[in-house]
Amino acid sequence: MDRRTFIRGSGIAGIAALAGCTGGPTEGSGSNDSENGNGTGDGDGDGSSGSAEVSANVGVVYATGGLGDGSFNDQAQQGIQQAESELNISYNDAQPDEVSQFKSFQQQFAQSTNPDYDLVCCIGFLQKSALAENAPDYPDQNFMIVDEVVEEPNVASYVFGEEEGSFLVGQLAGLLTTREFSAGSGSTNPDRASVGFVGGVEGSLIGKFEAGFIAGVARANADAEVQSTYVGDFNDPAGGKEAALAMYNSGADIVYHAAGNTGTGVFEAAQEAGRFAIGVDQDQSKTKSNYADVILASMVKRVDTAVYTSVENVVNGEFDGGNVTTLGLEQDGVEVVYGQQLGGQISGDVKSEIKASQQAIIDGEISVPADPANV
Amino acid sequence: MSNAVASRAGLSTRRLAGLALGAAVALFVLAGVAMPDSTPGKVLRVAFTKSALAATLRLSVPIAFAALGGIFAEKSGVINIGLEGLLIISAFVAVYAADVGGSVWLGLLVGVLASTLLAGLFAVVCIEFRADQIIAGLAVWLIALGLAPFASQAIYGGPNTESLEGSFGTITVPVLSEIPFFGALFDANPVVYLMFAAVGLSWYALNRTSFGRWVVASGENPKALDTAGVNVTRVRYAAVLLSGVLAGFGGAALSLSLGQFIGNGATMVNGKGFIAIVAYLFGNYNPVGALLSTFLFAGLDALQIRLQAAAIIAVPQSLVRTIPYVAVIVVLALFGRTRIPEAAGDHYESGED
Repeated sequence: MDRRTFIRGSGIAGIAALAGCTGGPTEGSGSNDSENGNGTGDGDGDGSSGSAEVSANVGVVYATGGLGDGSFNDQAQQGIQQAESELNISYNDAQPDEVSQFKSFQQQFAQSTNPDYDLVCCIGFLQKSALAENAPDYPDQNFMIVDEVVEEPNVASYVFGEEEGSFLVGQLAGLLTTREFSAGSGSTNPDRASVGFVGGVEGSLIGKFEAGFIAGVARANADAEVQSTYVGDFNDPAGGKEAALAMYNSGADIVYHAAGNTGTGVFEAAQEAGRFAIGVDQDQSKTKSNYADVILASMVKRVDTAVYTSVENVVNGEFDGGNVTTLGLEQDGVEVVYGQQLGGQISGDVKSEIKASQQAIIDGEISVPADPANV
Repeated sequence: MSNAVASRAGLSTRRLAGLALGAAVALFVLAGVAMPDSTPGKVLRVAFTKSALAATLRLSVPIAFAALGGIFAEKSGVINIGLEGLLIISAFVAVYAADVGGSVWLGLLVGVLASTLLAGLFAVVCIEFRADQIIAGLAVWLIALGLAPFASQAIYGGPNTESLEGSFGTITVPVLSEIPFFGALFDANPVVYLMFAAVGLSWYALNRTSFGRWVVASGENPKALDTAGVNVTRVRYAAVLLSGVLAGFGGAALSLSLGQFIGNGATMVNGKGFIAIVAYLFGNYNPVGALLSTFLFAGLDALQIRLQAAAIIAVPQSLVRTIPYVAVIVVLALFGRTRIPEAAGDHYESGED
């Protein structure tokens, strides 16, 4: 019996140790930054000397998809890396696994005194409720949140006009679906006017993408059908693949995703089916270059601009707490970027039509709905 | 006496409810066939497509393999609720090995090996050291849940690995793959064929070989098996290792057919190991039954995706997503008739020492 108790005890201790390994903010950016191993990890190691040299210390809490999604989180990381090299700041980041961890990661950064963080960046709309609780508890800590509005004097909120950018890629899809078009590994199915949308988690944010996309498709072709599926997860590429394959098999030829890492499965499905996909957040024909042969375009959302701007404001002593900054087409917060490999083969008249719509949206001639219920 | 009456009454209510459900399904199908433009008709039209069957087969692979593994372990008397962990570990190791070795088949092999090793550890803890099987099974799951994302973090700098270039591809049987609906059976990933082969072999091994009889006896009446001169411990080791091999195929197939391991949250396995347990219990420890109940779940999952996209039923999409889970619970409650092996969960000590 003693032996059993021992085994059980050591097993539980081992599990606890392993569980400990997986949590907690990761130290420094250098360790998981394969592109430019600039070794800031060393600077972060001895925080006291580091904070004396740098102009600001920033904590970043990423969304649940984690880094390496080639999408939302990577775009945010790009912003903080740009700030690191241009504004001489130092940063630490945390990659929560679950929504329930947001609160504690935010608190860890807010409580930390070594280094004392000048700004905590909360990436993603799911952090709203955690931040709404934390912000009043740490009135001296500056926060910024992307994709949501938290009305507290110490929180700067950045939201995007996703529906405007999605409208343009919707129009692109609507124009191409009835044309004979083949490029890279994909081709359209001109007999059917059918396109698809794969969303991550239902909510007002992804609803903006869906609404804009549907409106854009309708503007290009009023008879086109939009198949719309939510996978229920931003990090389930297998689910994304199944959802997109179902659409391609029932006649869709272009699928747009707003689903973070789940979208990788959409690209995988596009390759398998020989159809096209539209990326999101970053130029995914670059960040997911394996799939450049099926990515027509990406609806780029400049999360990096939001992160960089907020850090810059803090460095300049102009933190805009309590303000909401909206980054739409007009502010270059969202834009359509054609695929690296396929973009050149999309005909000029399609591109000029999209350019015209872009101007019309900026001028207020087209109003884009932000809620799928209003399309 | 009154107890017996009550239980008989309970049974018949259950049977009545089961009959009612069956009648409702039959009515639905009939309505669908009679009126192709009604909602049931539309549902049937998206359900009976080649693409839905193909998706069902793909979604079944990890669950069916894990269920087969669970059958062998539990039949021999060792309840292996660590199947989820075995799937996770093999899913990660397979992608890593395929990435390093450059071949998905090598990845599959190494993934199976990793899962077998972890199952071996579980077997030693349960059989040699007589740990509680449920606790040890949970430990297997938790170890894998921590270890795989941690290793991915160390190697790839994040809980998700990079995407692999190659994949299994598909094996297409000419002519047969042209058949509507059932053609999907002849136009599939090699792991789908492996799954069918594994189900057939498992059924044969359990029902037609002496090893199968030993496994069953070890779970039902280990003392009798011991008396007959067969080493119960050895049979149980073999069965648990076999469950590791089978679950390893499932986990490796899951990650390799996507070309990436996802380690965030509940990882890409996301409960498939636990669904596998339900599948083999519902299948009453019969490999073929387990496969069929896997098909039920996977088929409803494939249907759910199509119902969302086609917007046939006017309910929120998050509700549509729960269809497979709700259906499995209902079916399990109404039709499940599982008899757990007599000695499952008990340690057996030979009288000699």
